[in-house]
Amino acid sequence: MNDYSITPGDAITLTVDGSPVEARRGQTIAAALVASGRRTFRETRMNGRPRGLYCGMGVCFDCIVKVGGETVRSCMTPVEDGMRVTLPVQLTRAGAER
Amino acid sequence: MTAVRETDVAVIGAGPAGLSAALAAAQAGVRVTVVDEYPAPGGQFYKQLAAGFRVGNRAQLPYDYTKGDALLARVRAAPIEILNDALVWGSFEPGVLEIKHRGAMGRLRYRAAIVATGACERPAVFPGWDLPGVMTPGGAQTLVKTQRVLPGKRIVLAGSGPFLMPVANTLIQAGAKIVAIYEATTPREWVRHAPRLWGHWARMSEALRYWRAIRGARVPVRFGYMVVRAEGEDALERVVLMRCDRDGNLIPGTEVTEPADTLCAGYGFIPSVQLTHMLGCEHTYHTARGGWVPAHDDAMQTSVAGVFVAGEVAAIGGAHAAMAEGTLAGLHAARTVGRPVSDSAVSGAATGRAQHRAFAELVSDIFAVKPGVLDCITDDTLVCRCEEVTAREIRAAAIAWGANVNFVKGVTRCGMGYCQGRVCGSLLEGLIAQALAVPPDSVDFLHVRAPLKPVTVRDLAALAERD
Repeated sequence: MNDYSITPGDAITLTVDGSPVEARRGQTIAAALVASGRRTFRETRMNGRPRGLYCGMGVCFDCIVKVGGETVRSCMTPVEDGMRVTLPVQLTRAGAER
Repeated sequence: MTAVRETDVAVIGAGPAGLSAALAAAQAGVRVTVVDEYPAPGGQFYKQLAAGFRVGNRAQLPYDYTKGDALLARVRAAPIEILNDALVWGSFEPGVLEIKHRGAMGRLRYRAAIVATGACERPAVFPGWDLPGVMTPGGAQTLVKTQRVLPGKRIVLAGSGPFLMPVANTLIQAGAKIVAIYEATTPREWVRHAPRLWGHWARMSEALRYWRAIRGARVPVRFGYMVVRAEGEDALERVVLMRCDRDGNLIPGTEVTEPADTLCAGYGFIPSVQLTHMLGCEHTYHTARGGWVPAHDDAMQTSVAGVFVAGEVAAIGGAHAAMAEGTLAGLHAARTVGRPVSDSAVSGAATGRAQHRAFAELVSDIFAVKPGVLDCITDDTLVCRCEEVTAREIRAAAIAWGANVNFVKGVTRCGMGYCQGRVCGSLLEGLIAQALAVPPDSVDFLHVRAPLKPVTVRDLAALAERD
């Protein structure tokens, strides 16, 4: 990528479903997920279909993930060092895992 | 305890319209508070780099990064209060907005309000549009421009409208591989509007600049195509397109398949009118303005006294029209709260607005959404991404329950999810109108409810401790 003399924020690490993912301070969770090569962010509640980043600007809520039990839009939420992100799964599966 | 702020003029949205409105009102001497959901002012047009990213030499940045610098500098130098990371989630009494600012619930009392909430993208809908890898053009642009992350390795751009050009430009400049651009309209359709281009030289040179970037990168541009489906197992692998005629009817035997991991598809923009609905403004349906829009007078005042609109929320028209309208609305709002404003300032803004709106109308005529786009929506296609409702369910509900989006919403839950119908609302109007063969303005609009965007139960509980 052409950098135009832009230096991203410091390198930090978050965990996604327990696995470490590198990110840059200031980035959103969504950007960190895409940069790590991940396209599917979650499963839908009813049909368990894969979803990823769609509108990228806080409108559609397709990119929602969980941070510390709270549902957030990954495209609107900046990463933090040591942040624990979990990816939502289908309701029936989530029930079975409980 | 929730914070209560007071201001003379509340501006909702910090894009070109909102910032111009804030500046005009502040220069007239009134207290101005701008409320904006994003982390930094600028909106979608003047998207800013993520906080924490440093720029060595600002002069090396492409124009798209710096085009908002002058306006933002003037806003920062003016006595304007800007609340970022501030969501307006409701309004339960006149003159008061409910806000969630940096996680804390609060209220903002105002004497006049300028709604400059902009627009969201009009989705391109076809089987597979919910697959990971399919996204809006604006989403891809945001990812590249603010986050410095490429959305994928092989990108197809599709849909219609002038916005595809700056998105392509941003992607190309960042080094992304665009496989091809598929535009639904054709230059042949544009020809009959060509004489109206006379005089709009600045806008045309901008388009030419983008066109050169696209040609320079040897990206093929094909006209008269629409996406008919996106295929892939767990994420996008292939985009299938077909040629269409001027009404958007698909031409049999013209299928092409593009292997791609990313598809950015959209048909322009939809005004974000949730707040103007909530404030009780009357709305009228104008296809060329983007659908349901708040009615307003020459002063940009809506049917609710003291509530003004500016920019895309009033009619899709681009940043330049939005800025002129913002200035106009800001001046009139200042007048409303009792400050003198010169007639020449008002007439200057009105003249600028008229010129930019003329261009906006030309663009919306050229890139008018073709009726045939609805034919790409097969019965199995998902329409409501949040509540997972298919076109089949919507068509059946329309036939069973009648020509009103709110009936169909109640029966199917389409439009009831997280996005509150921002993505599927216009689609729902179109599908119901088509299923019952009635005009799209006869099926009503989705009624809004608080919260306009989700807040948590904890947030609502905090309200109980108010006052």
